[in-house]
Amino acid sequence: MKRFIQNSLKLIVLVIVLIFACDILYTAVYRNSAPRNKLQYILNTENETFDIVFLGSSRVANHIDTKLFDSLSHKKTINLGVLGAGLNDNYLQLKLLIQNNEVNSVYLQIDDNFEREYPTALGTASAMPFIRNTIIKDHTKRYFENFNTLYYIPFYRYAINDPKIGFRELFFSAVNKAPKIDPSIGYIPKYGNRPSQSGSLPKNIAKKNDILKEIRALCKTNNIELVLFISPYSSTLKNRDYIEKLKYKVPDLIDLTKGYNDSLFYNYGHLNNKGARVFTKHLYYNTQRTQKQ
Amino acid sequence: MLFNSLDFAIFLPIVFVLYWFVAKESTKYQNILLVIASYIFYGWWDWRFLFLILFSTVVDYSIGIALSKEHKNKQRKILLLISVLVNLGLLGVFKYYNFFIDNFTTVFSFFGNEIQSNTLDIILPVGISFYTFQTLSYTIDVYRKRLEPTKDFIAFSVFVSFFPQLVAGPIERATQLLPQFYKKRHFNYNQAKEGVYLIVWGLFKKMVIADTCANYANDIFSKYESMNSLSLLLGAIYFAFQIYGDFSGYSDIAIGTSRLFGVDLMRNFKYPYFSRDIAEFWRRWHISLSTWFRDYLYIPLGGSRGSKWFNIRNVFIIFLVSGFWHGANWTFIIWGGLNALYFLPLLLRDKNRRYLNDAAENRILPSFKELTAMLSTFLLTTLSWVFFRANTVTEAILYLKRMLSFNLEGGIQYLSIERYVPELALLILVFLIIEWHSRTKEHPFFNTFRYIKLVGVIIGIITLGNYSSVNDFIYFQF
Repeated sequence: MKRFIQNSLKLIVLVIVLIFACDILYTAVYRNSAPRNKLQYILNTENETFDIVFLGSSRVANHIDTKLFDSLSHKKTINLGVLGAGLNDNYLQLKLLIQNNEVNSVYLQIDDNFEREYPTALGTASAMPFIRNTIIKDHTKRYFENFNTLYYIPFYRYAINDPKIGFRELFFSAVNKAPKIDPSIGYIPKYGNRPSQSGSLPKNIAKKNDILKEIRALCKTNNIELVLFISPYSSTLKNRDYIEKLKYKVPDLIDLTKGYNDSLFYNYGHLNNKGARVFTKHLYYNTQRTQKQ
Repeated sequence: MLFNSLDFAIFLPIVFVLYWFVAKESTKYQNILLVIASYIFYGWWDWRFLFLILFSTVVDYSIGIALSKEHKNKQRKILLLISVLVNLGLLGVFKYYNFFIDNFTTVFSFFGNEIQSNTLDIILPVGISFYTFQTLSYTIDVYRKRLEPTKDFIAFSVFVSFFPQLVAGPIERATQLLPQFYKKRHFNYNQAKEGVYLIVWGLFKKMVIADTCANYANDIFSKYESMNSLSLLLGAIYFAFQIYGDFSGYSDIAIGTSRLFGVDLMRNFKYPYFSRDIAEFWRRWHISLSTWFRDYLYIPLGGSRGSKWFNIRNVFIIFLVSGFWHGANWTFIIWGGLNALYFLPLLLRDKNRRYLNDAAENRILPSFKELTAMLSTFLLTTLSWVFFRANTVTEAILYLKRMLSFNLEGGIQYLSIERYVPELALLILVFLIIEWHSRTKEHPFFNTFRYIKLVGVIIGIITLGNYSSVNDFIYFQF
C-alpha cells in the first residue's frame, strides 16, 4: 500500500507539473505568434486610427464587407464582429481597442444580443491567453462568475475553451499558419442560400441592458460616435415583432431589416456574400442620410 | 456521477481511503462501505431511482432464498418467473412502454381504427438495462443450481449495485462476481497499479477519442442532407470510434476502478475493430452482453444444435433482442437485424469460429488478407452503426443513400464546429496505431517504455481532451 500511495502521489505531481508546463507553453505561444483572430489583432495593434469600427456577432462579421464600405466612404474601417459574441464581449473588444488606438465611430449591431449582459464563451475565448492583461483581468473579474478558476488554476482557461484556443489553434499559432480570414479586414463572407432554415427572436424583451449603457458611456467619454443598427433577417424568422419592441427600447436604433429578398440569405439570420454587399451599401447610404439629418 | 467529472475525482480517493484504512478489518465493513458508496454514486444522478435498485435487490435476494428452500420444479419455475417478470417488467415500463404504445397506435391507425395514444413522460433510470440483467443472471443461475443462493444480503446488495459497473457494465455473472464479496479483499499492489493504468487509458479513450469524434459526428449527422459522400463516410467512421471510445473507455475505467478495491471484473472489449469477420467482432465487442445472451437466451433456445434453419432462427432472435435491448427504437432493431444478416454467411458455411486468435499473432503487421478482412469487417460494422446513431430509420436510409451516391460536391467540407471533416482522421490513425501495438494486452502501458507512454497519454488527456462539452457516456441511455 505504501508503494502504491507513493506512486499515486508521484502520478498526481506529474499531472500537476504537466498542467503548469502546458499553461506556460500555451501562453507563450499565443503571446508570441502572429494574430490569428480579431482579439489578438486588437491586442497587437498600436497607434492606429480607425474611422469606423463595426462591432457585433457573426451578423456583423458576415454582413459588412469592409473593403466595399471603405471604397464608398473613403474611410478606414474594420469589422470586429465575432461569431457568437454578445454585447459584453463587444464591450471588452472596444475597451482593448481604444487603449492604444484612436477610434472615431463605432457601428454596433443591436438585435437579440440586447437580452444578454453576460460574456459568452465564444466571444471571449480568444482573450483567455491574455488574462493577465489589466483590462482583460478587470473585465473577467467583473463579469465572469468563474474568474478565480480561470485566473488561478493553471490551464483551466485553455481546457474549457478548447474548441477556440485548444491544441489545434496552438499548433497553428506555433507554426504561424495564416488564418482563413484576415483579422485586419474582418469580413467573413458566407456562400450559398438556405433560408428555409428557420429561427426566431425572443417573444419578450428585456427591461434594459446595462452593458449597452456602459458602451454608450465609454464612447461618450472617449468622444466616439456610436451608431446602433439592426441588420436583416429572412422571411422565415419568427417573432419578428421583437424588432419593434427593440426600437422602442433603443430609440436611436437604425432599422435596416426591410427590403431583403430570401435569395440574399445564407440562412434565416445571416446574409450570403451577395446579400452582404447589398447590405453594406444600404448601411452606408442610410447612415450617411441619418448623419445629414 | 460521471467517471470523467471532478465529483468522481474527489469521490474515488475518499472511498479508496475509507475502504483500505477504515473498513479493512472485515469483509462486512468493506461490503457495507461499497453499498453506501454505490448508492451515493447512483443517487448523485437521481436519488429517487435508488428505490428501484433496492426493490430489485430485495426481490431477487428473496427469490434466491425461496429457490433454495423449494424443491418442486413447478414452484421453482414460478419463482423464476416472478423474478423475470419483475425485472423485465421494470425494464418494460421504464424503457419500452412508450415504444409499444406508439407502435400499437400506428398499427391500429393503419387498419383504420384511430385510437388515442397515451404515452407517458417517463425518465429512463440510468443503467436499468445493466443491473436488471445482472440480477436476472443471479436468479437464473440459482434456479439452474449453478450457484448457491446467498444468505448475505449486504454482499448481494454490493453485487447488484457495485458502483464501478452499476450504470454501464460490464454485466457481471453472479457466479463470477458474487463470490468475490464473500471474502475479505487484501490490497494487491500489481492489481491496483493495473487498475490505475486502465483508468488512465479509459479516460483517454473517452475524453480524447470519443468526445472529439462526437463533435464531428454530431455535426455531420445533424446536417447529413448538405454533406457529400466523403463527409458522410467519415461521419459514420467517426461515430464508430465515438461509440467504441465511449463504451470501451467506460468499461476500462470500471474495470480499473474495481481493481482498486480488489475486485476483478470481466473484460468487455478486446480490440473489436481488428476483427477479421463479424463473428470475431461479436466475440470482442461488449463481451459481457454477448455472453449473457449466449448463456441465458441462445443456449436455452437450442444454440447451434438442430437444423440449420433452427440455428438461423436462434441467431436472428439473439441479434434482434440485442438490438432491442439497446433502445426502444426500430433503428436499434434494424441494427441488430443487419448484424444477424452479416453473420448468416459465416453460419451457413460453418466459418463462425474461424478466428479465435489475435490478428497477426507474433507479427508486427497483418498480412494483406488479414488487412482486407479487417477493413471489410470494419466497413460492415460502420454501415450498421448508421442505424444505431440515426434518430429514425428513414434518416438512416437517407444518410446511407447519400453516402453511397459517390457525390463529392463541395470537396473537403467545413463544419459548423469550425473544423474540416477529414481533420480528425489523423487522431484516429494515431489511436489505431497505439491500439494495434497493444492488441494482445489490456492497455498500452507495458514493456520498458510504459512510463513514457503514460506521460504521453496524460499529456494527450490534458491537451486533447474535451472539457468544454462534457458528454454523458452513450451507454447510460441504455
